[in-house]
Amino acid sequence: MWAISRNTAALRMFFRKDTVKICDLGIVGYEDALHFQDRLLRRRIEKKAPDTLIMVEHDPVVTLGRLAERNSIIDGDYFERTGIPVVPSGRGGKITYHSPGQLVLYPIVDLGEKKRDIAFYIDFLEKTVSRGLNRLGVPAGRVREKRGVWIRGKKIAFIGIAVKRWVTFHGVAVNINNDITPFSYMHPCGERDIRVTSAKEWAGREIDMNTARKVFAGQFEKDFRDEYAEPASKRGIDDNAVKIA
Amino acid sequence: MQLRLPDLSEGAEDAVITLWHAGETDRVIKGKDLVEVTTDKATFDIPVPCDGILVKIFKKKGEKVKTGEDMAEIQEDRS
Repeated sequence: MWAISRNTAALRMFFRKDTVKICDLGIVGYEDALHFQDRLLRRRIEKKAPDTLIMVEHDPVVTLGRLAERNSIIDGDYFERTGIPVVPSGRGGKITYHSPGQLVLYPIVDLGEKKRDIAFYIDFLEKTVSRGLNRLGVPAGRVREKRGVWIRGKKIAFIGIAVKRWVTFHGVAVNINNDITPFSYMHPCGERDIRVTSAKEWAGREIDMNTARKVFAGQFEKDFRDEYAEPASKRGIDDNAVKIA
Repeated sequence: MQLRLPDLSEGAEDAVITLWHAGETDRVIKGKDLVEVTTDKATFDIPVPCDGILVKIFKKKGEKVKTGEDMAEIQEDRS
């Protein structure tokens, strides 16, 4: 199960008594990471795995979420020329781009035992990513009526999630050191005239990826504990996932 | 039995039907994925609630659906 990582030095799992297990896959292809997510998702649904945060960097790839439109790509020739594959994805959201230097967080967490609210969960992801970037010296934050994480009108983190039996998969991609040029050949998230940035571009220097990994892992653990520690039963939430008459 | 869109978020928005895993007259098995709905940034899989026959789909792929609205009707197996 762990052999998918070519960057074995970066392959780490921390077994702690904390609320979330951290699983760092290093740099892996999108499809391989998807298979890994699927396996962990099924185990989480069956209560055979704990809440887990997968951290990964992907080989260059464009992914099309469920609501991606055909005209999201401005210059398809660019992606053919550069050999960057364009693949469909079962996540929410529209089009985005992944490559090494971008840190992707895939939380496989069971909201069914906690707070069953997808908008609340997306808010949580945006807040925890904003705080992580702030700790790296990047003053990013949320923008009213817009999804993702932003800095001075430029988007730095992109969200697209999926939920099955109230267990989450897919997640959020944060531009740290990655080349952001390919974003200019598409309408990221289906938004025209959007400007994209990275932590590196903001800081004017490379950000140490190991430091970034530790910061985001720690921030996610803390925020998840703070936001989701209380079980659903104490919040008075109905246990029925689907209301049926 | 009517299958309705569950409450996905407080003050829920509309969702769009993005995938039916079964068609009308198909036999469906409790617990298997039946329909995927998508909000702005999330897809959500809804399982089959009971063994039976999917007799009617009220909301086709691409159509919007509101919280509590009927999406399909399942004729439940008699035990």
